Parts: sequence; structure tokens; C-alpha cells
Amino acid sequence: MAHVSLQGVRKSFDSLEILHGIDCEIEDGEFIVILGPSGCGKSTLLRVIAGLETLSGGTVTIGEKIVNELEPADRDIAMVFQNYALYPHMTVYKNMAYSLKIRGLSKTEIEQRVQDAAKILELGDLLHRKPRQLSGGQRQRVAMGRCIVREPKVFLFDEPLSNLDAKLRVQMRFELRQLHESLKITSIYVTHDQVEAMTLADRLIVMDGGNAAQIGSPLEVYEQPMTKFVAGFIGSPAINFFNGKMSGDGSQVELVDSTCLSLGKNGLKKHGGSEVTLGIRPEDFKVVEDDQAMIHLQVDMVETLGADTLIHGHLGKIDTDFIVRLSGTHHLKRGIKLPLSVSPEKLHFFESQNGNRIQN
Amino acid sequence: MFPKPIEKSSEALQRTYKAILPIALFIWLLPLLAVMLTSIRSAGDINAGNYWGWPTEFNLINNYTDIFLNSKIGLYILNSFKVTIPTVLLTLTISCLTGYALAIYRFRVNMFLFFVFIAGNFVPFQILMVPVRDLSLQLGLYDTTTGLVLFHSAFQTGFCTLFMRNFMKALPFELIESARIDGISEFKIFRYIVLPLVRPALAALAVLIFTFIWNDYFWATVLVQGDHALPVTAGLQSLNGQWISQWQLVSAGSIIAAFPPVILFFLLQRHFIAGLTLGATKG
Repeated sequence: MAHVSLQGVRKSFDSLEILHGIDCEIEDGEFIVILGPSGCGKSTLLRVIAGLETLSGGTVTIGEKIVNELEPADRDIAMVFQNYALYPHMTVYKNMAYSLKIRGLSKTEIEQRVQDAAKILELGDLLHRKPRQLSGGQRQRVAMGRCIVREPKVFLFDEPLSNLDAKLRVQMRFELRQLHESLKITSIYVTHDQVEAMTLADRLIVMDGGNAAQIGSPLEVYEQPMTKFVAGFIGSPAINFFNGKMSGDGSQVELVDSTCLSLGKNGLKKHGGSEVTLGIRPEDFKVVEDDQAMIHLQVDMVETLGADTLIHGHLGKIDTDFIVRLSGTHHLKRGIKLPLSVSPEKLHFFESQNGNRIQN
Repeated sequence: MFPKPIEKSSEALQRTYKAILPIALFIWLLPLLAVMLTSIRSAGDINAGNYWGWPTEFNLINNYTDIFLNSKIGLYILNSFKVTIPTVLLTLTISCLTGYALAIYRFRVNMFLFFVFIAGNFVPFQILMVPVRDLSLQLGLYDTTTGLVLFHSAFQTGFCTLFMRNFMKALPFELIESARIDGISEFKIFRYIVLPLVRPALAALAVLIFTFIWNDYFWATVLVQGDHALPVTAGLQSLNGQWISQWQLVSAGSIIAAFPPVILFFLLQRHFIAGLTLGATKG
């Protein structure tokens, strides 16, 4: 159990800088998910924390100790790899027991810990099998077991569920969360899957090109994305973006096709007259009466998913695909105009120039 | 699928194939057959020029006992073992260690070192005959099995390192990282995690190197003169005296000398298994 502190963490490979200085305080017992598209540096960040990569700048602190110069073995961490990395020639029991044996624990202590972990992970019957005799989900569990028995200060997970099929992934996700509830060990989890991130995390670090674009609870990140990138990355189907111009007094915004959206009392006076990007999440739309409509969506295609209906369309002369998600089943014909409204507080504004969020 | 299975070609082609295959096999094995045949002939047959015809008498037991009674083949075979076994052990030990270092560690001159090991293979060793002989004389290793062991090891390590390095490079690197995080020392990672997984490579190399050293004639004649250190390949030559050639005995000796590598191959065969790393990763 320990808190982890990252201060100005930088990593370069030769002249290529991957991490541009990341700051984050991870509380004791917290479950932190590092989320980002491939190539954003999330795995590198994890490997830096693990000590598998050296730092190019900044400090990593685990517990009270700065671990910059420490070998991975001396950092008191355990890591689950994307491809599990089980020792293929050892049984499940030995896989879990080996590091304990190296640490010089007594036989009874090792037996105790392995049995406990096996019980938590329901591996009891498999202890004498070799990894090749296990299914993907079971191997995954052994990899976790190998970490649990160590009782480390910090758990590191590098996309541990990405090799599992969809159903198993949901199950393991649930089990991971339960495991964390019972063990309360500080965990850092890397993924590119936002559902995993949203469901597992106490807090998210959303990474964008080697920077932490936003750090916050899943709901914070979803409801108050700090940059256009975060807004676009979180949420499925993705948020709709439009370019527009704020009116002089900041009370309404005019889109490219001269549709005007009123911001009501949430007006952004300070930003009157500026070029903005407007983001509206597909699920924030309501179908309203014609005369109350903020916008009219020209319906191009309707996808009925059962619980939800996805409506693809476009706005007047603006060509960009626009997605609206309505709950329940809606039978809509192609080409009709759907009157829609969004409550003003659900509108997200970003500066056109740098993509930063605009708020009062 | 390439090559196309023979079952899928035309009837005529299949028949031709089946007819030609045994003939090709026969021609290919002819030299071996000749040696076997010679080894059971009498000296008279050979002197009369009856090399390929039916032997006038079968001297199987005679020849094979003669070679043990009338030559020092027993000593020569012992010498061969004294050279081959230490060489194989030494070479495999060194090349596992160098291979591990080159495959697992990232350091500045890694690639350069690797190329040095490979480049060594391209030097034709005949060129080195005179300097190596001089060196062994100066080191007092001339005419000893130790000398042969050391020089063979030096020459084989390059290739073996290349082989082991590439095999280890193909192991999932996460295994090593995972072990490092688990706090397992580098030597234990090498000994208890990497070595068990490169067993097939070790077995293959052992057979290869054993056969190569066992069959070596060049260094055996360059570096050794006396019977006390002469391996069987060079020793057999001494059966052909200055005036008399005893080909039937040389042949019998050759057949006997060919056995150890074959036996080793069958002994190690169960280690030639693919997929030892199955289960380490998602697979």
C-alpha cells in the first residue's frame, strides 16, 4: 500500500520524446486508469513507473521513496502484462510461488499465500497444470495470481484484458474491480478501451501525444472534458463537433450554415466573438416539437440497436456526419427533418485554435 | 500450398515420381553402401579390384575384430570423446551466456559485438592453419587433446552464439521483464527461465557440434601427431601404412566411428520439440 507520485516525468528514445512531462498524484489504494489511443505513451508511462524504462527527466515516487534509480525488483511493484508472460515450463503453482521462493519465504508461508490467491481467483483445481493447458481467461487469472501473492505496494496492469474475447473481458473487468475492492492495493491500469476505463477507474489519466490531457474521475472527464481531444476520445458513439462563431455578447453561437444556438443564461460573455468548436454528445439530444427545436437534423440512416437507436444525419448544408442517440426504438424515414433540442449546459465549447475548453 | 503435394499431380507423374525416388535414394546412399560392403570384404578381393561385385568371402566378424585387435582404434575413439565432449560442453556453455547477453541486454556495442561473432564464421579456417599451429606450440598445447578442445571451442562459439542469440531473441521478452519485476536475479532468470526454454536449441546445437567435432579431420592432423591424442578420424588414416592399404579395416573403422553421433542424435531426439513457450503468452 502506497501512494505514487509522478513529477514532470519525461521519457525520450534518442531524440524522440515520448512523454513530455507528466504530473500526477495517485492516492493510496486508488485505482487509476491511463487511457489513450495507441502511440500516446501510456504503456511507456507504465513501464517507466515499473522501472523497465529509465526516466529522462522528473521523478517517480512510490510510498516515501524516490525510485528513479531503483531496479524494478526493488520497487515493490507487481505487473500484469498484456500477453501474461507466464513461465511456460512451470505449473500454475510454481508460477505463483517462484518469486516468493526467491524472496526466501518459508514453505508454509508460500503455500498459504498461493492457496489464498488461488481461492480468490478460483484457480484451486488448476494449480498443477502448465500454462499451455489453460484457456486465455485462466492464464489471465494466473498472471494476476502471480502478482497478488507478492502483496506488493502497487499493481501495474498493461492492457491485461485486451487478449480476451468480449464476454470474458466483461467478466474479468467485473472481477478485477471486485478484487480491488477487497485488496485495496494502489493500481495503475493502462488501456485504450474506454468502457474498461470508465468502469474500473477511480480516476482517469487521459493521455494525448505524450501529455496528460486530463486527470479526473470518469464522470468528470465525460461531463467536463478539458480539451477537444478528450471530448472526442471519451464517449461512444463519439461526440459531434461543429465549427461556429460566438456572438458578440456570448449569448448564442452561430454555426457555419448560419443556424443559431442560444446559450440561454449559460452565455460565455468573456468569449464573445471568438471562433469556437462546439461539441454535443449524441446522447444529449431530445426530440422536441417543431417550434421548440434548436436544430433540425436531416436523417440519412437509422441504426436500431434494440435498447437504443442511432440516427445518422447532417445539419442543413453542413456535410459532416452527425450522430444522435435516442433511447428506445424509433422508426424514422430517411430524409425527414427531425426537430432536436439540447439543454444549454450540455454544450461543450472549445477554442478553435488549441482545442482547450471554454467555460465561465 | 507450396510445394504442391504429390498426391494432387497427374497419375503418370506420380508413377514416375515413385519409380525415380528409390533410384535417387540408392545413388545418394551408394558411397555409404560401398563403405559397408568394403568393410566385410577380404583384403584379397580389394587387391583383385573386386570393389562392387559379390564378395568372395564374408569377413564381417574378422574385420570388425581385427580393427580392435590390430589397431589402436579403441584409444583413438577415447581420444575423440576426450576432444568432443568437453568441446560441446564448453561451446554450449559459452554460447548460451554470450547469446543471452546479446539477446537480452541493450547496450551500445551490442550489434557490433554480434557482427563480430558472425564475422568470425566467414574466416576460412584453413587460412589459420599455420598461425594456430604456431600458437599451440608456443602455448605448449601442441599434440594434446586440451589444445584441440580449446581451438575447436574457439572456432565453434561464433556460430553457436549466433544460433543461441537468435533463439533467445525469439522468446517473449515480457517473460524476462516479468521475472525482473518479480525480483529474480539475472543469473536465475538465465538458469531457471531462459535455459529450460531453449532446450530444443541446445539439443540441436549439441548434435550439430558433436558431429562436426567428431568428424573433424583437419585440426586433428594439424594440431596432433602422437597416438596419445589422435582422434579416430585421423587415427584411421594410420591403418593405411606406407606400403599396404588395408581398406577393409579403414572401412570397418569408419562405420564404427560413425556410430556415436548417430546414437547421440537418437538420445537427444526427444528434446527436439517445438512450442516449449506455448502458454507463456496468449498464443
